[in-house]
Amino acid sequence: MKRILTRAVAPLAVLGLAVGLAGCSDAGSGEEATGPLTVWVMGDSATNFEQLVAPYTESSGQKVEVVAIPWDSIDEKLTTAVASGKGPDLIQVGLSKLRTFADAGALLELNDEIADHPGLDPANFPAGVTSSVGDSQVSVPWVADTRVLFYRSDILAEAGIDAPPATWEELRDDAKVLTQRGEGQYGYYIPQWDSPLPLEMTWSYGGQVVDGDGNIDFDTPEFNDALDTYLGLYSDGSVPVNSDFDQTQGFISGITPMLMSGPYLASGISSSAPELDGKWSVTTIPSGGDGKATSLFAGSNMGVWFNTDQKSASLDLLEFISSAEAQLDWYSINGELPALSAALQDPSLTSDPLVAVYTKQLESSNSLPLVANWDGGTGADLLAALNAIALTGADRDSTMQAFFDATAGTPTN
Amino acid sequence: MSTDTRNRARTRALTITIGVGLAIGAIITAFPFIWMITSSFKPQSESIDYPPTILPQTPTIEYYLTLFTELDFGRYLVNTVIVVLISYVGLMLMAMAGYAFAKFDFRGKGWMFFLVLATLMIPVQVTMIPTYLIINSLHLTNTLVGIALPTLVSGFSIFLFRQFMTTIPTEMLEAARLDGAGEFRTFWQIVLPMSKPILAVQVVLTFIAGWNSFLWPLILSSDQKLYTLSVGLNLLNQQLAVNPSLQMAGASVMVVPILIVFIIFQRYVIQGFALSGLK
Amino acid sequence: MKRKLTPYLFVSPAMLLLVTFGIFPIFLAAAVSLTNMNISGFVRPQNIKFIGLENYVTLFSDKDFWQALWNTGGFALFGVPAIVVLSLAVALLLNRRGNWFFQALRSFYFIPAITAIVAVSLIWGYLYNTQFGFFNYLLSLVGVPQVQWLSDPLLAKFSVALVAIWRGTGLNIIIFLAALQGVPKEYLEAASMDGAGEWRKTYSITLPLLRFAIFFVSVTTTISWLQFFDEPFVLTDGGPLGATTSMSIFLYKEGFRLNQFGYAAAGSLVLFAIIAVITVIQLRLRRADDEY
Repeated sequence: MKRILTRAVAPLAVLGLAVGLAGCSDAGSGEEATGPLTVWVMGDSATNFEQLVAPYTESSGQKVEVVAIPWDSIDEKLTTAVASGKGPDLIQVGLSKLRTFADAGALLELNDEIADHPGLDPANFPAGVTSSVGDSQVSVPWVADTRVLFYRSDILAEAGIDAPPATWEELRDDAKVLTQRGEGQYGYYIPQWDSPLPLEMTWSYGGQVVDGDGNIDFDTPEFNDALDTYLGLYSDGSVPVNSDFDQTQGFISGITPMLMSGPYLASGISSSAPELDGKWSVTTIPSGGDGKATSLFAGSNMGVWFNTDQKSASLDLLEFISSAEAQLDWYSINGELPALSAALQDPSLTSDPLVAVYTKQLESSNSLPLVANWDGGTGADLLAALNAIALTGADRDSTMQAFFDATAGTPTN
Repeated sequence: MSTDTRNRARTRALTITIGVGLAIGAIITAFPFIWMITSSFKPQSESIDYPPTILPQTPTIEYYLTLFTELDFGRYLVNTVIVVLISYVGLMLMAMAGYAFAKFDFRGKGWMFFLVLATLMIPVQVTMIPTYLIINSLHLTNTLVGIALPTLVSGFSIFLFRQFMTTIPTEMLEAARLDGAGEFRTFWQIVLPMSKPILAVQVVLTFIAGWNSFLWPLILSSDQKLYTLSVGLNLLNQQLAVNPSLQMAGASVMVVPILIVFIIFQRYVIQGFALSGLK
Repeated sequence: MKRKLTPYLFVSPAMLLLVTFGIFPIFLAAAVSLTNMNISGFVRPQNIKFIGLENYVTLFSDKDFWQALWNTGGFALFGVPAIVVLSLAVALLLNRRGNWFFQALRSFYFIPAITAIVAVSLIWGYLYNTQFGFFNYLLSLVGVPQVQWLSDPLLAKFSVALVAIWRGTGLNIIIFLAALQGVPKEYLEAASMDGAGEWRKTYSITLPLLRFAIFFVSVTTTISWLQFFDEPFVLTDGGPLGATTSMSIFLYKEGFRLNQFGYAAAGSLVLFAIIAVITVIQLRLRRADDEY
């Protein structure tokens, strides 16, 4: 008995110790540390980021160290960084993870810093993007991303379609025609991991999934219209049903001549299939019913790590990369669209016909609802329900009802 | 033909059939590996071409060059080698422990060895966060030592050492002690040399584990300069994979050195397992 | 008495490391499993509350948990015998001759075992791809329609298990080859002289002498398959629709994607208990076997 008790006390004591060790991070003292600033960026854009901040280092003398984090490892990195309190100074936050980061307490609140650093004011950025959770501003928009309709003009023309579809009904009809081309050919592609897609459809039908109190409510007429289209494309046989369908190869080979994706696909197509130049283009996404075509405002923000020991240096760097010059510079180095409104309207961008479409679409785009955990929670549940109906033939009404019940009332603020 | 010759001929035919069968099996088993190597030499447009080709039409080494010039794989390589070398320190510690379990009787031996075996059953996910917190409190995060530490010793290896070392004749150890040799000297000058086969096994296994290490380098390095090859390879997984050749080149850089190490040590590895009394 | 101290000195460094990074975390997990710990708990410890066995109750009524448990059992029941039989068969065949040819073949069979999981996912992902993968291309040459290797819930289990079997046989073939070296040639020669055929010799002489090796491989392979993680994680992320989610993946997602550490800790303790029980059963079975 005694041994069991001692065995229980010890681990609890250690848990306390461990949490204590974790919580006991470097408290912000009055003085600020000096030295290089650490920035965490996603994917392999580290060398490009170093290129971006080189002029800043030259003029201010502030050194910047960039660390690249693999996209699919951000969860572990965040958790362990928060657990130890040791993180970078600036961190790139994908919009779908903004709420998770904020709830974890990982981001510094910026409301009081705007006076000294006007470049961080949310008003400088389009209305559709979020930088705050509730009233607390925890980040500054960094790069913008959206979804537009990609289409193979050559394949559509061959099938007798002169212009890309402007409404979801048209898209469904066009997809049916294109599927007729033959065995293994489809008209459209629905990525099975794309949880924002049903939202984009709902918005384009003129609807919302967040009610007046700021809680999630999927059970709306427009969402159901969107479902009719989404599931209808599956039942028409116009979309591939395997989960490992490759978007790029699908578009290049012509198997799926229409799909919704972002600017990164465009650069992927140009670099791996230059022979297709002139045979494809992009346009704003279709609208539905009485609604206005509204797409996703995706992308990433930049946040300041909650216990950085170089607060004012971090804020200065943040202001630098949020300037129009740096934003446009980043676009030419890395190909990611700026989030700053002034930069988006710059003629150097809008003269490119593809980019003109992106910026036009961004004017009519929304961010994902700021639920506690979109990727792992609400969004995952949405995909599970839709995939169950579309791929395994689950009953629509009961599955959707269960989904509505499970998600209704989730707060977004 | 006499019965004897006929039997011999039949046996020989059987051996040849088996040899051919095994060779086909070997090629099938190694096929993904072969495909990886050939793809690494394909230009980008060919790598996503359909129908897929096995051999590249216009081979190029540009992606290997990219890895080392633009993507810092040279540094990742150095880090990986250092992690492997640090792991070899763990090897020594495990050999010592295995020797103690094999050749000594001491209080607590039973339940200690039980603990060793118990660690084999613990799922890795359980250990991730507590281990991270411990390394953090030792101020070893973002160091190569910290990265190598969690996997420095493994119950499996201690078990193998113990199995092998039980076969070392105790008389030799007694003789050395009678001659006045200290315990550590006995270990170093008699036990280790006699353990060459199992050491060979461990050298190879440790190399593989250290070389492929992904989890701890990822979590424990907040500085990209400390990434290992596995993490570097994972970085190439963008949200949309549009350059398979580059990824294959990275994967090839990871696999080929291990293969070379294995081919060199092959014979000793099998001998090592054999003499451990796995019968 | 220096001699008395020696074993302790020799054993302590390794034991210290093992206990710190292996045993201690399990106790910590046990403690955490009794709380509602999530990611904010690190920054705001006052959020952590003791909730007793609530996590376990929730766990046992979570249908995802049962699906993961079911999947893990299925994988183990299929994969472990497959690996043991395959490794043994290949080892027996490879052992026929000691010449350079057969020795060279060994390296080929060991290649899967040394390939980093990140590389494995890349390669097999491309091979298995439905529209553009190599396997379906080969099938198309003989008129077979596209197979959804990784998208069909049932087939995905098989595809993922295949990759794991491919990876798992390498080391075990080496272990069996080593064990085979301990089979005295005299027994086999005597049997040949008595007129015993190949199959008879293998069955009656070789296999019984390999009993310990077979046992060792079975136990270690079982333990490893009960912790099945790498292959389903990189190939299908536990999908489609949870078809390839093993217990370890379930734990990982709860712990790192949903940040529910208390819940994940409870799950990991359950998994540990299962592994321990099954291992003990295997040990008991062998002891019973020995007694005969």
